[in-house]
Formats: sequence, structure tokens, C-alpha cells
Amino acid sequence: MTISQLSRPSSGASPDDGMTDQEDKASSHRPNFRRNVRRGAIVLILIVVALALAYVRSGSVAVVTQAVVTGILTGGVYGLVAMGLTLIFGVLDIVNFAHGAFLALALFVTFWLVNSMGIHPYLALAISIPVMFGIGFVVQRGVLAGAMGKPLENQLLITLGISLVIENTLLLVFGGNPRSVPLPHDHALPIFGAVADLSRVLAFVGALLLAGALYLLLQRTRLGTAIRAVATNDVGAQLVGIDTRLIYAVTFAIGTACAGAAGTLVAPLVTIEPTTGALFNIIAFVVVVLGGMGNVIGALVGGLIIGVTEQLGGLYLPGQSPLLSVFIVFVLVLFLRPQGLFGRSA
Amino acid sequence: MRKSWLAAMACAVPMVLSGCGGSAPAGAVGTVGGAAGAKAGATIKIGSLHPLSGSSAADGQQMDNGAKLAVEAVNKAGGIKSLKGAKLELLSSDTQGKPEVGQSEAQRLIQAGAVALVGTYQSAVTTNVSSVAERNKVPLVIDVSSADSILKQGYKYTFRVQPSSTVLGTEGAQDLSDVAKAAGSPVKKVAILHEQGPFGSGIRDAFEAKAKSLGIAIGPDISYDAATVSDLTTQITAVKASGADVLVVSGYYRDGVLAAKAVNTVKPALKAVVGVADGAFDQSQFPKDTGKAGEGYFDANYHADMTKPAMQDLAKVYQQRYGEQIRSGAVLAYDSVRVIAAALEQAGDSSPVKVRDAIAKVSLESLIAQKGPITFGDTGENNNAAPILMQVQSGAVKQVFPANKAESKPMFPATP
Repeated sequence: MTISQLSRPSSGASPDDGMTDQEDKASSHRPNFRRNVRRGAIVLILIVVALALAYVRSGSVAVVTQAVVTGILTGGVYGLVAMGLTLIFGVLDIVNFAHGAFLALALFVTFWLVNSMGIHPYLALAISIPVMFGIGFVVQRGVLAGAMGKPLENQLLITLGISLVIENTLLLVFGGNPRSVPLPHDHALPIFGAVADLSRVLAFVGALLLAGALYLLLQRTRLGTAIRAVATNDVGAQLVGIDTRLIYAVTFAIGTACAGAAGTLVAPLVTIEPTTGALFNIIAFVVVVLGGMGNVIGALVGGLIIGVTEQLGGLYLPGQSPLLSVFIVFVLVLFLRPQGLFGRSA
Repeated sequence: MRKSWLAAMACAVPMVLSGCGGSAPAGAVGTVGGAAGAKAGATIKIGSLHPLSGSSAADGQQMDNGAKLAVEAVNKAGGIKSLKGAKLELLSSDTQGKPEVGQSEAQRLIQAGAVALVGTYQSAVTTNVSSVAERNKVPLVIDVSSADSILKQGYKYTFRVQPSSTVLGTEGAQDLSDVAKAAGSPVKKVAILHEQGPFGSGIRDAFEAKAKSLGIAIGPDISYDAATVSDLTTQITAVKASGADVLVVSGYYRDGVLAAKAVNTVKPALKAVVGVADGAFDQSQFPKDTGKAGEGYFDANYHADMTKPAMQDLAKVYQQRYGEQIRSGAVLAYDSVRVIAAALEQAGDSSPVKVRDAIAKVSLESLIAQKGPITFGDTGENNNAAPILMQVQSGAVKQVFPANKAESKPMFPATP
């Protein structure tokens, strides 16, 4: 389901649309149902084969369990970062290269709040989200509004420029030294025989909650309806009296706020440097395309897949960059479903 | 529109991959004004090439600062006396950590009249800069860059102050074995975790060869991508499953912190965690960033010799001037500029070729802990370069081995 697709109330899936909505299940097309069972079985077999192979390669159940748990937890964070990116793409058609830089900005906001004001790292969410929302709103209104509807390259270069400005301003103000935000009482939690830091588990839970909140916002509120309307057809939305310029700015701001939330949630996990955001940038783009562009739930699922792939890939191909396995899966998925896992076929 | 997305991604991803750290070259300022009023030949220019922006900016700026302080110290002491007290001038330049930028900046500095270059931190950048130096017959003194391959080209104009990866890995294995034996708890099996680039694998090769000759088993040997890694828990779980009694880590700062966090989470049964040329475990920031998790960690690395009064003075000056603790990289840059100054003094001539010949004969007391004065062999390696062993003790990095460089005694085993 893409954002624009959500706005079509149970119009039924197109013949080649594999992922059916709730509504479609209710109307229960027989061939669709059977195809889904078949696809489900294939996915299940793939998972079993992947795990068996990982076991053969590593020779230890503990290592495989750890890889899966770590993969799911980091995958949640990837999904969280990608959510804002996919929302902005779905509604504004902007490839936002500044997303990682916004995340870095949120990291430094969190660092500053925790270090100078003595605020608990998670309470910083209450400040970082509105601050990043505001920054996103201003940036869209001030810098990007003029490029709306222009060729993709224009917006792309503008966002790339914004990311350079943010990263180098952070370098100028804070210097390049690594910083950290320690989480008080952080400790290891046992999970199915594996272990994970409390901070990672909380970041994962936070990612799920935010995904849910974003989904509800898009589905159940007037604002969400307006956003979906603009995503589907902005001229049409304008005709029924929606202020599309405002919706563009608000959507960009929500996307940036997602980067803000992600920044604060991952602050205890990462070393904070002006370039930290770039770490997430590439993965986030892969996740967005994998999950289906403009699809919030797709971003979350895509994040989980990439997270687990990265970890298991490290076991299959030791000595190679985990990005290798990520891109193998990425290419395979795009080969089989060019529109992304949850994307609507064009 | 889908097509344009893919096209946009195709052209933009390489840009992001290459690290978006662009900014104007910092060296563009301050080279012009000197001509007015000054006597001809009164200043001698030295080029400093370091990553002042991008992901290694913190280290690059430290090293540039170190070079600046060395130039100031030489000038304050009366300049180059054999050249009628000629003053040194540092031309600072930003490589952005990119080989092609380093190459063109090196060319630019040479055209601006630099008689010698110092740099550059990343081995890939240094490789390119050394070929420019060779072609133009201008000496390059490498402060930091460990890859063995740089000096295997048979270049005559490149010298290296820091120990090569072979020396770091070999001596690291020897030091670890010595410390463990002295404590009556010899090492049986070492797991190696290293970043997968030429730096990490170079250290791994040297360490492994020496450790095997000392009767230490190696396994598993795990690598990771330092640029993208965000968690090392799975890797440390594999170390735990292997039953190794010491973990050796070789990587950069951010991944070193991740490794320490993962060890603290997984709690493998280890006698010690030992960095070999690790960029994290001997940084003063490391104990602060990891808290109790980093206590007892060793690192075998080049390090400023804090037992020398001159080094303690330099640390004080640096702290006052730049408001942060000096790192060993900055001290190496400081020493490299001193090497060039000493060569100028000895040559009594500021032509690059004469300076090169004088550098080859230099013998200079170093502020880095090493076996003797800085002297260069035929290949351009520093003959006396060696790592020393440091350990995090009570939240501070201490020099612990060999005994003549030790600030305190090594604690072994140091179960993490």
C-alpha cells in the first residue's frame, strides 16, 4: 500500500497486485487468496533455508540466534529512519538527501539537551521531535517550496546542498570529535538465548510505536486524509479546497520529525559525529525502494529485512562488507517486484 | 517518474558514498601576504595535507594543529639558523580524506613553493600524494598512514615516521605474549576482529604470523566494514562460541566503541581485550564513552611518550591553545615537521632535493615512545618506530609496557 493507494477505499487489487488489503481479504478473491498462500509458503521456505545455511556456515545456534535478534532490532531502527524519507517521497516526490543530515542534527540536539540540560535521553524526544518538525517546516517553506514540481534533479541538488550545509555547520560548531550520550542503567537483556542492550530494545519498540502512530495519523485524521489526497492528486486536492502548499510543508516537517525521533532513539547506540547521519543514508534509501516508495509500513518491513540480511550475510560471506548481501537481496527483490515489496505496480 | 528516481539514485549514491564532506580548500588563505616587505627567501614553505573535513576531520584537524605548533616552535627558537634564521611557513590544506583531492592539493602546494610535505592520515590518500611527491622530487614525510605498500614502491622521496603495519602487528603480538607470560597466565587462543580495509587486514596478517610463531592459536578471524557497521553483537557472540581467551581488535574509533559495548553485552569468557593499532582503546575519550565497559582494555599502538618532559609541555600548550587533549597523531605531525626543520638546518639549503638528502641522514629525538631517535632506512621507514602497550586503568589510558616507558604496571588478566 502506498500512501496514494491508501486513499482508494477498497477499490480491489489490480490483477498483478500481490499484497492485498484487509478489504480485499474480506471480499476474498479465491485466486488471490491461493496466490498469497503460495507466496507465504515460498517466503517461509526462504527463511528456513536462510537460517539453515547460516547454521551450517557458523556452526553455532547461539550465533545464528544472536544474528537474527540483532538483525531485527537494528532493522527496526533502519525502518524508523526510512519512514520519514518514504513519506516525503510519497507526498512531495522529493528524493531527500538531507535526511541523514537531519538525523545527525537531531543527534546533536539530543547530545546538547542531555549534556547541558541534564535531561534523560528519552525525555529529549519531547523536544527533539517538535524542534525537527519546525526545522523541516521552515526548510520546506524557505528552500524547497520554489522547486516543487520542477525536475527531480533540482530538488535532489537542493537537498544534497542542505545536507552539506548541516554537516559542515555541525563540524564548525561542535568540531569533529566523537561524542556519546550514555543511557543511565543500560544493561543487557536476554532474548531467546541471545542478548541485546536495553537501549537497542527500546529503540526498536520506539520505532514500532512511531510507525503505528504515523499509520494512524495518515489513516484516521483529517490531516492524514488531506496528505493522502495530495499524494494521490494534488490538483484534485486543490480543487476540493485543500491548501496543498501547507500540506507539502507539514508533510516534509513530519518526515523531518521522524528523522528527529530516530536521532534521539539511536543516540545512546551510536558515536555522535557530524557525519553519523551518512551511515544511515544509503541503507535508508535501499529500505525505501525495497519497501515500495511512499509506503510507511513497507519501510518498516523493508528495514527488518535489510537488518536481518545484513547480519546473516555477515555469517555467509565472512570478510565481505555486509552491504554486499544487502544489495544482493535488494537486486533480487527489485528483479521480482520492480515496484518494491509493498509498492503498487505502475 | 520511477525511471527518473532510479537515474537520480544511480548518480547520487556514489556522491553520498564518497562522503559528501566537501568544502572549500582551507589552505587558500594566508599564502599571499608574505611577499610584501619580506626579504626574498626569508620564509620556507612546508605543505600540510590532512583531512580537515569529512569523517576523519577530528584527527585531521589535530594533526594540522600539531604541524602548526611545530612551525611556531621552530620560528620562536630563531628559525633555520643555517639559512640566516629563515622562518618556516605552514601551508595547510584539506584532503577531505579523498585520494584525488589529496593528489591535486599536493600538486597545488608544490606549485605554491612548498619544499616538503607532511601528511596525510589515510593510506589511500598518502599513496597518491607520495607519487606526486616522487614525480616532483619534493620530499613527503608521512606522519600517519600504516599501509606497508606505500613504501614498497621504491620511492626515494617518501619517509614514514609512524610504525608500519608489519611492525605494529608483530610487536603487538610480542608485547601481548610477554605481558601474559610475566603475569603467569599465557595466552592460548586469540580471536581477531578487524576492519576489512588494507589497514585492518595488514595488521591481522602481521599479528597472525608472529602469534603463530609464539605458539598462540588464532581463530576465529572476523572482519567488518568500518564505514557502515552499526552493531558487533553477532561477531562477539561468535568469539564467545569459539572459546578464545583473548580478543584482538584492530579498527577505528567508532567501531572500537561498538566492540566494547558488544563485549559488555555478550560477556564472552576472555582474559583480555587487546587492540593492535586500534583507533579507539588508547584515546582519552574512550573510557568516557564506554564507562566501565572499557576498563582494562589494552592497545598496542604508537603513542606520545608522556614520560618525557618535552611531551608534557607540548600537551599543556595544545590543551591551552585548542581546548582539547592532544592525540598521538598530532604529535607525529609535530615530529614530522621537526624532521623537516632539522633537515633544512643540516642542509643549509632549501631546495627540495637537498632537503630530501638531509632527511635521509636525520637523527632526531622523538616525542613518540619509540626505541631510539628517528632515523630512516633505505626504504624510508623509521628504523626505531615501535608501538607500546597501553591500558585503560581507573578510567584513564596509561602506558604500561615496556617497563622503561611505563606509567603504571599492566593488569593481566583484565577480564572485561
